[in-house]
Amino acid sequence: MARDREEILKDMADAVLNMDEALTVKTSKEAIATGLDAFDAITHGLVVGMNKAGELYDQEEYFVPELLLCSDAMYAGIDILRPHLRKEDTEDKRKCVIGVVEGDTHDIGKNLVKIMLDVAGFEVHDLGRNVPLASFIEKAKEVDAEIICLSTLMTTTMDGMATIIEMLKEEGIRDNFKVIIGGGPISQAFANRIGADGYADNASSAVRVARDVLSSVKA
Amino acid sequence: MTTTANIPADTQTSLERVLCYLQGKNPQRIAAFPLILNHAARILGKPVGVYNRNGEVMGNSHVAAYKRYGHDLILIFSTTSTLGEAMGTKMAFLDEDAPQIAEPLIQKLDDIKKVHMPDPMKDGRLPVYLEATEICVREIGKETCVSTVLAGPFTTAAALRPVDLFAKDLVKNKEWVHELLEMCTVAGIRFIDEMLKRGSLPIIVEPIGSGSLVSPKHFHEFVAPYLKRLADHIHKNGGGLPAVLHICGKTTPNWTPMLEADFDIWSVDNVDLGKAKEAVGHRICLVGNVTPANLLKNTPEEIDAEAKEICAKAMGNPRGFVLASGCEVPINTPPANVDALINAARKYGRFDN
Repeated sequence: MARDREEILKDMADAVLNMDEALTVKTSKEAIATGLDAFDAITHGLVVGMNKAGELYDQEEYFVPELLLCSDAMYAGIDILRPHLRKEDTEDKRKCVIGVVEGDTHDIGKNLVKIMLDVAGFEVHDLGRNVPLASFIEKAKEVDAEIICLSTLMTTTMDGMATIIEMLKEEGIRDNFKVIIGGGPISQAFANRIGADGYADNASSAVRVARDVLSSVKA
Repeated sequence: MTTTANIPADTQTSLERVLCYLQGKNPQRIAAFPLILNHAARILGKPVGVYNRNGEVMGNSHVAAYKRYGHDLILIFSTTSTLGEAMGTKMAFLDEDAPQIAEPLIQKLDDIKKVHMPDPMKDGRLPVYLEATEICVREIGKETCVSTVLAGPFTTAAALRPVDLFAKDLVKNKEWVHELLEMCTVAGIRFIDEMLKRGSLPIIVEPIGSGSLVSPKHFHEFVAPYLKRLADHIHKNGGGLPAVLHICGKTTPNWTPMLEADFDIWSVDNVDLGKAKEAVGHRICLVGNVTPANLLKNTPEEIDAEAKEICAKAMGNPRGFVLASGCEVPINTPPANVDALINAARKYGRFDN
């Protein structure tokens, strides 16, 4: 007997929130079998659960292990639903590039930000870790990104962020991109000093900051 | 520039000052622990990559740093993954930075069989640390406190296993995690014994137990019990030495389970020391917490102001307070900023007036 949309979506959200990968897969299959729209199931099911996980992370109820397991569950569900998406569902996303700056290989924080930006509907181009500074700019130009997100945990590599901003200025394309920075030693004061557009102190706030810097573009 | 005219002179040697803490007495002024690790290479004028791999250079760097700064704690250390390296993880060495993990040993769960129980005299760079320790104890051990640092079991386990997989193992493979932590604990105790033999204070760092990464529940389950084994071992075999724990980043959510590990001294980073004093000051001597990035970027006047504020919050901590950097003094920190931190202890951390 087919259950109604609300029930299925709620179960999908709960399965993600409870880090239950098997249940996420099962309810995602049920969504397809019942004839729910795949985009609807992702945005009003899986993503709702992941956003709740992000809220719990913000409130220090969830930590890194829980957030990673929730995202594993969510992506397992997305894998089921993706083949059923219509082309127009995936167009017109706002684009960003993200990576850990050259000289640093710590990427847990960057990975969490990437997940939360993805969930928030951004098209995220992940360059990985220990990324040569020029690569951020090349990729941002190539994919026509609006935001460049830079991460580092080390005091030895934080100046690379300032270098990227200087490189953008030298090329005369500083105003084409918003630059958001974050990581252990990074602060709002440092962001101001190097002329970054935004600073985020955790993965959830990164989404808010990304939306804020873009809304200032539109205004 | 900060004037030196109004800085009161010290009336105790560094070692006398630190011993006051162990005897439960007030020193003339609080001790200052700028956490100088790889930065010591800068003082000797050697590349950081050489400091990391050569015990003589590492030891001489710290002797030179002590002669330059007169700080109250020598820390023989370069990288949190050093014990993991000696147990089989591959590192990448850099000329002018601390080494970083290149390839963790345990890619699949079954790789736990490959974990090597290290011989501190032979494996990885543990002999480098021990040689540096011997040099410092011999050259300056009568004037100041010499310590050697090792990563706690949880951080060592996360150096052996890709850290994102390890984070998920905490939920999915609990028994396996305990098995790995047991090995890391035994390895740590072996290394601690060699430090004690050489007259050095073992200090445990457990950054992967930071509240930015793990919950109080997981700290209680996976971090505290193994840290406690190390603390108990030091209490039992250290001839009266205290157990010292450093955790960088945000630790506030984990203070309750951190107490379970039974350490005497906590070196903390991104926390409010006033709150720490309220919450744990009756049991714990607090060490902290000038912002490391500020040491690199700010002026001596700004460091002085930050340290003054920290002292205002933490002075009067029932079990004592040491002014320190929250985490490693960045490699390229201007020496005048380290001086400013130490002078702030002389100015704002006095008991003799």
